[in-house]
Amino acid sequence: MIRARGLGYRFPGADHLAVQDVDLQLQAGELCLLTGPTGCGKSTLLRLLAGLLQRHGSGEVQGEASVAGVDPGRTPPSERVRRLGFVGQEPSDQLIAGSLEDEVAFAMESAGIPAERMRARVPELLRRVGLELDLGRDPRTLSGGQCQRLVVAAALSAGAPVLLLDEPLAMLDPLGARELIARLRQLADEGTAVLMVEHRVAACWEAADRVLVMAEGRLVGQATRAELRPDHAVIGTLAALGIRPPGAAALDPIPTPSPPDGVLRSFPELSWRYPGAARPALAPLSLELRAGERLAVCGPNGSGKSTLLHRLAATADPGIVAVPQDPDLSLFCSSVWEELAYGPQERRSGEVERTVRRVARALSIEELLDRAPQALSRGQRLRVAVAAALACGPRVLLLDEPTAGQDHDQVEAMMTALTEELREGALVFATHDLELARRFGNRALRLRDGLCEQRGTPDEVLSGSPRAGEPG
Amino acid sequence: MDPRARILLVLFAGLLGLALERPLALLIFALAMALPFMGLSINKRELARAGLALLSVIWGTVLSQALFYSAEPRTPLFVLGPVVFWREGVLWGLAQSLRLVGLLLVGLALVRSTPVDRLYLALVRLRLPFAVALMAATALRFLPVIGEELRLVRAARAARGRPIWARSPLAWVRLELRLLAPVVARSWRRASALAESLDARGFDPVGPRGTLRPLVWRWTDSLLLVLSGTLTAAIVLARLLYLLYTSEALYIPALRPLYAAVRAWM
Repeated sequence: MIRARGLGYRFPGADHLAVQDVDLQLQAGELCLLTGPTGCGKSTLLRLLAGLLQRHGSGEVQGEASVAGVDPGRTPPSERVRRLGFVGQEPSDQLIAGSLEDEVAFAMESAGIPAERMRARVPELLRRVGLELDLGRDPRTLSGGQCQRLVVAAALSAGAPVLLLDEPLAMLDPLGARELIARLRQLADEGTAVLMVEHRVAACWEAADRVLVMAEGRLVGQATRAELRPDHAVIGTLAALGIRPPGAAALDPIPTPSPPDGVLRSFPELSWRYPGAARPALAPLSLELRAGERLAVCGPNGSGKSTLLHRLAATADPGIVAVPQDPDLSLFCSSVWEELAYGPQERRSGEVERTVRRVARALSIEELLDRAPQALSRGQRLRVAVAAALACGPRVLLLDEPTAGQDHDQVEAMMTALTEELREGALVFATHDLELARRFGNRALRLRDGLCEQRGTPDEVLSGSPRAGEPG
Repeated sequence: MDPRARILLVLFAGLLGLALERPLALLIFALAMALPFMGLSINKRELARAGLALLSVIWGTVLSQALFYSAEPRTPLFVLGPVVFWREGVLWGLAQSLRLVGLLLVGLALVRSTPVDRLYLALVRLRLPFAVALMAATALRFLPVIGEELRLVRAARAARGRPIWARSPLAWVRLELRLLAPVVARSWRRASALAESLDARGFDPVGPRGTLRPLVWRWTDSLLLVLSGTLTAAIVLARLLYLLYTSEALYIPALRPLYAAVRAWM
């Protein structure tokens, strides 16, 4: 179904190939996981196979690709949509229409499928991805997980036998991730060839027929499910690239330098209800934050984790600084240096340069200080946003989903730096990654439907979770 | 109502707004244009926000015209030291702002009552170039998203800096302008993702395309368009004849009652 021979791509002006010499074959009914460190060329390879870079990019394409019998770069869109479905990162940015029905039907309209067939197929597709909602509902009102399923249904609607997905689990909680993987496995069992780029290796490991590992633009390892044993070379390759292979022993929790002590901030009642909503997004909740505390806020998609962080940020306390889920929204200066210096300058701190150097070193972005923040990769932009927040010397730092789009090593380095930097402050981080919560949290809180279900140590809270032990 | 009929009605409203000049006529025009807007289900908060925005448009225009009206004749309404408020300026400002308010209201009613994809389909069926139709529809779809992002950027900035009122107006403006950078960069990324999404889902600007819900033109759409089109054409024609008369290009004695009516009412 997918065949690539010597496939490569060089971005305009780049002196090296982002993808090079990729030979690849994928059969019908095969679910293949493509993984590798951030920036290794996985998404570029996927976009080449989808024919998008050939049509939209102005770089140099090498080699050849064939998907469902056609060259994706030279096939008209209305024909190509019958051959392959593509789901990129950030599902919310891919929404086109004003209702679920129109969103799913869009590709069918492109393929010229009769209206009667479309009407029959839309509910069936939504059912297949587990999204049985009102067809007239506005897609922008869906949660991240629901949005992800919608774009999968939309990509499949024209009957494509090949599905390419770029980090479909990035924003999903463990249950949502498990459900989506099960749906993809089912699609593969029905004959669809599925190629999926993903950082959350453990979540897809069991379902995948084959694992491909990529580094520096090349495929550096692969193994079929039958071959995958703990001593297989691919396991060693993954470990060498900083990707934790499934089955690896859980990392020990990071010890607290000194036990949390002294209340930094106290919030007797935090709550929030959206105008017109039947129930609150966050039911009244009291919270005390202590020096040295690292509070992990856990819970499924839509449980109120981000809302809790928003309410903490909305207290307008100058000691509380938040890094939003989308780090781009906190970067507004023309260089990384200016971005890091903004907070200390605004706070009339006399040690601007020393502060900038210190946080840049802590977050490993010293070599980026002269670059424009908006020109960096997503992982780098997140680290700049975190460093800029740290430079303000916050008493409480709020961090929303720090793992999205990051590989394990990057998250580990960033969280370790924060632990060091915030020894006398408090860190509150919302995450669906249970292992991250266990390793870096020294207190945890679990939300569901806006209600605080449980709070305590990470072990107490996460062992009480019905989904504890699932891979994040 | 078919979205094509809605777009044509807004077009007629635009012509009507341009053809009227008397404050009373423009007040009636603005009130008539407010009717479809009031018919929408809008929550009180949004309604209050829209009302405040429209009042500030009227207030700003009337005040600036009252102060800076320069045509003759002009009559002082009242004097505050060296500042004179001109009566004709107030009337002129009122007329201009009512025209703008009427057009804004009818435009808002169209955008709020028509899903963006239906609007896009209607624009294409009205033979608008696809690129213009797609840009217009996409811009409308993302306006609220961009507004929300601007709010988030401002909140993130506020968390890292001094309050906005703690700086000079010039520094405030400079800082506000800097906030556009992340929003523009984010919009650029979103536009690229959307373009790829459209392409990946087979959108072909020049190829044939099916539709799940075809646009349906009813006889009531035709009737409404004939009535509103006739009224608009009559008022625009009357205004044109009046303009020809006042510019001494064409005078038809039999039309003297029409000239009088235009001068008095339109």
